[in-house]
Amino acid sequence: MKWITNKTVQSLLHHSTFVLFAIVLTVFGLLSQSFFSFQNLINVLTQASSLGIIATGMTFVLLTAGIDLSVGSIMFLAGVISSKMVVAGFPLWMAFSVVLAVGILFGLMNGFLVVRAKIVPFIVTLATFYMGRGLGLFLSETRAINLPDSFLKIGSTQFFGIPFPIIAFVCVVVIGHLLLTKTVFGKQVYAVGHSTLKSKKAGIKVNGILLKAYLICGLCASIGGLVAISQLGAVSPTFGLQSEFMAIAAAVLGGTSLFGGKGTVFPGTLVGVLLVQCIQNGLVMVNADPYLYPLITGGVIFLVVLIDSLRHLQQQKLKRWGIHQK
Amino acid sequence: MGNTPKIKRTIFHGTALLLSFIGLLLSACSKKLERTTIGISFEILQTEYWVASIEAMKDASQKNKADYLEAVANGDANRQFEQINNFISRGVDGIVIAPKDAHTVIPIIKAANRANIPIVIYNRLPAENKGSYTTVVADNYDITKKTVKYMCEMARKSGNKHKAMILIGDLGDINAVHRRNGFNDAIAEYPDTIELVAEIPTEWNQEKALAGVTNALQAHPDISFIFSSSDFLFPSIISALKNVDKYHPTGHQKHVILGGFDGDAMAYKMLVEGYLDADGVQDVYYECDASIQAIIDRLDGRAVKQTISDPGFVIHKDNLKEMAPKMWGANWAKQ
Repeated sequence: MKWITNKTVQSLLHHSTFVLFAIVLTVFGLLSQSFFSFQNLINVLTQASSLGIIATGMTFVLLTAGIDLSVGSIMFLAGVISSKMVVAGFPLWMAFSVVLAVGILFGLMNGFLVVRAKIVPFIVTLATFYMGRGLGLFLSETRAINLPDSFLKIGSTQFFGIPFPIIAFVCVVVIGHLLLTKTVFGKQVYAVGHSTLKSKKAGIKVNGILLKAYLICGLCASIGGLVAISQLGAVSPTFGLQSEFMAIAAAVLGGTSLFGGKGTVFPGTLVGVLLVQCIQNGLVMVNADPYLYPLITGGVIFLVVLIDSLRHLQQQKLKRWGIHQK
Repeated sequence: MGNTPKIKRTIFHGTALLLSFIGLLLSACSKKLERTTIGISFEILQTEYWVASIEAMKDASQKNKADYLEAVANGDANRQFEQINNFISRGVDGIVIAPKDAHTVIPIIKAANRANIPIVIYNRLPAENKGSYTTVVADNYDITKKTVKYMCEMARKSGNKHKAMILIGDLGDINAVHRRNGFNDAIAEYPDTIELVAEIPTEWNQEKALAGVTNALQAHPDISFIFSSSDFLFPSIISALKNVDKYHPTGHQKHVILGGFDGDAMAYKMLVEGYLDADGVQDVYYECDASIQAIIDRLDGRAVKQTISDPGFVIHKDNLKEMAPKMWGANWAKQ
């Protein structure tokens, strides 16, 4: 009997995010009739798209036991540059290309400093966080930039009834998932996250893997920025602020370990992002007291991270006893 | 081994360069400030309102033949405290601060009082404290109430009952709280016309505002009355309204009664085009002139009130021509 209880607890701990997701869906579904409508599902997915794209990139970095605090600043810089270019009359494709290049450049810079200068990721990306935001504020002169309608049309364009942001989100998640699960690179990302030393001994070019992980993260941040401003139609000086924390939270909620080597883009990060977005959506749907928003969102994040920590402790204990869990 | 002299030379040059840099820095820091100098510290230049304010503050200093030092803390209360300490070390004659919030400004007031430097708190009321300071602040509650009452009268004239939504700012910001209270008290006088169905906490963030408005319109597709606690959230509202085909000018069957607060350039354009019905305007020029004047008066030994209130005004289509020259956003829109 005790064995069954332990197994149930283990199973619950292992699938804590999914359990919480189911609870959140059930509670809001019961409290609001329109929560489960098709249109609301589209809303949630559209609103989750930008964060989801950034969190997908973040998952790669977290899997290598790193962190990237600069994603919000890359988003902001991408937004400012593309807005300035479009307002100045440059074609959209050119603005988008420059933005993607900026994302790649920041990703490379982060990766290079982590790999070559051997500076811890937290400090490197904290520096690029300030650099990116500072550069963005300098370029925008800290003024909000309103975009022409052509930009907004991209965000509201639909293909077979599905808004463009959702399509971009799905594409990034699918590519991220395939990269991690079906390629040698993906397996090496996990290996580096588990142990850099053992990966080196196994002949993995650890520096190359780290560089690519930060590059993917930077690229995803710039795409996420573009998707967000195509919905907003404006870039304000606070654009992208704290997105890094939401992206990290979403990835961790989805089961990605902050210690590296464990996590998935699909279903993990996807569910984490949807969980965050469903809470925000549901609270508006039930017209909750505005003071409850941070309490509930923070509470759920705390709960999942606590469960993750418990799970980690339990695995350590089992490891000490010589039992290996898959 | 052959590289040793080269390395020594490099070290020597590097040290000389570093020492000259430190020397320059020290001389710059110790340079005595000759004219009246005012330290202007802003928590953040997040919106057009703050940018317009700091510009107006500099203009007001120049008008009073005072020099100024400026610092922006980018939302970090500790950094703002350090910046104020730097102002004090540099020997400024007065300090104007737009603080992060009502509480973190208290140690700053104490530091200025200890140094015997007059301090003006701009735009946010500090929490209760025994320090000596002057606050220049818009009457957020009253301006909002008047703006929302104007919107309510419009709604009443339409003869229909309206479902309302408010976009709230950061609930840690006393101005956001006062605006929310002003809104609630105004609509409470129109129970037969206005029903509040959505309160969206935005934390002064456009992305959160967009998601919140979209979700609220999903839950209540018949919302027809929206008040935004800051004009800078309008792009989010417009985007969400356009997605459900509800963004139309006054007179259109699907027009949503829309109001805001601040008086920025976008609000002015929306008023001119008929999309915005009313806007509560903070008189930036009055507030900045009053802030600098308060410092000058204190330095000259004149008495200064502890709170200088900006009554602001409500601008709408009926008084647009008359009030536009006083609306800072109208001037920005023309730049």
